[in-house]
Amino acid sequence: MRSFLNPLFALMLAAALAACSSTPTEEDTSATDTTEPTEVAPVTPVEPTAPAKPDTSSIPMTADNFYNHPSNYDGTTNTKVIYFAFDSNTVPAAAFETLRAHATYLKNNANAKVRLEGHADERGTREYNVALSERRSKAVEKFLRVQGVSASQIEVVSYGEEKPAAFGHSEMDWAKNRRVELNYTAGRP
Amino acid sequence: MSRIAVVVVMLLASTFARSELLIKVTEGRVDAVPIAVVPFAGSQGAPEDVSAIVAADLHRSGQFKPLPAEDMLSRPSKQSEVIYRDFRVLGMEYIVAGSMKAQETGGYEITYALYDVSSEVKLLEETYRPPVSQLRDVAHAISDRIYEQLTGIPGAFSTKILYVTHNRGAANPFQLQYADADGHRVTTILRSREPIMSPAWSPDGRKVTYVSFEDRGLPAIYVHELATTKREKVSSFKGINGAPDWSPDGQKLALTLSRDGNPEIYMLDINTKALTRLTNHYGIDTEPRWLPDGENLVFTSSRSGGPQIYKLNINDKSVRRVSFQGAYNARPDVTPDGRYLVYVHRRNGNFNVGVQDLQRGTFNIVTRTDMDESPSVAPNGSMVIYGTQDRGTGVLEAVSIDGRVKVELPSKEGEVREPAWSPFL
Repeated sequence: MRSFLNPLFALMLAAALAACSSTPTEEDTSATDTTEPTEVAPVTPVEPTAPAKPDTSSIPMTADNFYNHPSNYDGTTNTKVIYFAFDSNTVPAAAFETLRAHATYLKNNANAKVRLEGHADERGTREYNVALSERRSKAVEKFLRVQGVSASQIEVVSYGEEKPAAFGHSEMDWAKNRRVELNYTAGRP
Repeated sequence: MSRIAVVVVMLLASTFARSELLIKVTEGRVDAVPIAVVPFAGSQGAPEDVSAIVAADLHRSGQFKPLPAEDMLSRPSKQSEVIYRDFRVLGMEYIVAGSMKAQETGGYEITYALYDVSSEVKLLEETYRPPVSQLRDVAHAISDRIYEQLTGIPGAFSTKILYVTHNRGAANPFQLQYADADGHRVTTILRSREPIMSPAWSPDGRKVTYVSFEDRGLPAIYVHELATTKREKVSSFKGINGAPDWSPDGQKLALTLSRDGNPEIYMLDINTKALTRLTNHYGIDTEPRWLPDGENLVFTSSRSGGPQIYKLNINDKSVRRVSFQGAYNARPDVTPDGRYLVYVHRRNGNFNVGVQDLQRGTFNIVTRTDMDESPSVAPNGSMVIYGTQDRGTGVLEAVSIDGRVKVELPSKEGEVREPAWSPFL
């Protein structure tokens, strides 16, 4: 199951490399380009299209890669849930842009206040899960603080397994429940 | 004629039981003691069948195997009517026989005796005169007396179980309730839209403490007096306010707070509100439980990586690791004699209740379910009640400390979780 991560990162890397190679280099034109252009070909300016968001729909979503799946994060403050891997409080890389958007919003709106609500899946004991979920909200808090968000705009609360988002008992349900929800209590974006 | 009457009584009993916890013994001891609890004379038509409650109590302990009433060859109600041979041929070791008579004052007079079949001796005889509202209390008191007479251990049938229920669709999905140890007479003490967690009893059984997120979704610890429904919010610091446990002297709570940035164990004086921090570690410290000496706690800590059980002295704050088997041991409880720890143990991805003998150093897993949590020991140390899942729904089960007796308490509505067994009341 863990190997699903590799194609995901491979795809992201490929997308990044493709973006780099879209700028032509010197060497591209040299060797075969010996004849002088005799006349100027008619040029039609191409309407530049907005850079498309990478299409991630082909990346299979599994319980193992759910927390870091690009489709869970749109890079704006519209995304209000950050997911976590099993037994982890590491903020997933796919969520960085989304959290930066929240940080920017909070910095630009001093009246806005966000509550970071940490949750765990149902495995393990309840109060220990409360403590684990607090580590998740604190990881998100730290991310926002490093971006320059004022501590007074952030409140942390830990629910453990008491408020699941998915009510089943499968690996995918658990993946959906290991999360931090960004709940604006004032100045909602 | 009498058979028809029995059927009618059973139907009535099942309608009454609808909103209550049902109890099913799934595994009893093979050496359970055969006992005949003869239906008390006059119990038909009474608001509660005291002899049937006694038989059910003894059955539920797993230590006794009551004879079905329809198999009885004779039905004595007093000593002069007892024909020992009728019970000896059925392999019975003991007989309980008695009567209940309606009193003109409105209550009942209940007389019963316990007889030893092999020696043909009366071991116990008592008379009670309860009002109708206390018939179940008397039945459980009789069960306690018989249990203690025959096992040497006080019975815990007159105790109560406190627990949290969750009904997802309801306006107030979270409820804090308590019921008799046999699941009857459910009382709701708190309803909330927000989670209720970690209920625990005061040592005198008059108050309970719990975590409630009712105030703006933030956790706070409450002390709640059952008789008056008077509540006091005793802890609402920034961060986690969790896992309260009442000290044996009734004066203090052990609890988990993360107000200093990280979950640590504290001690709160309930009267003065003085707070003493007991642990200091960057790992998770939570789920404290008092040992009977009132000087030591056991708790869950991740200081060595995954969760393990540690013992903490409240005077010198020294900490010593207690659990060593496996990578996940959490949420300890302790038997009243301080000899056994029960806690949640993970093995092959399953969460089970394990029992550690602190004297002999042995450790045994006593459940075969999965997702077990919140084990709570009966005040006589005989059984452990815990939360688990049955086809995806939270249910309560109980198991004897030696793992030989298992009892299911399936719920009819919603999830039932976090049971806390009361002290002797």
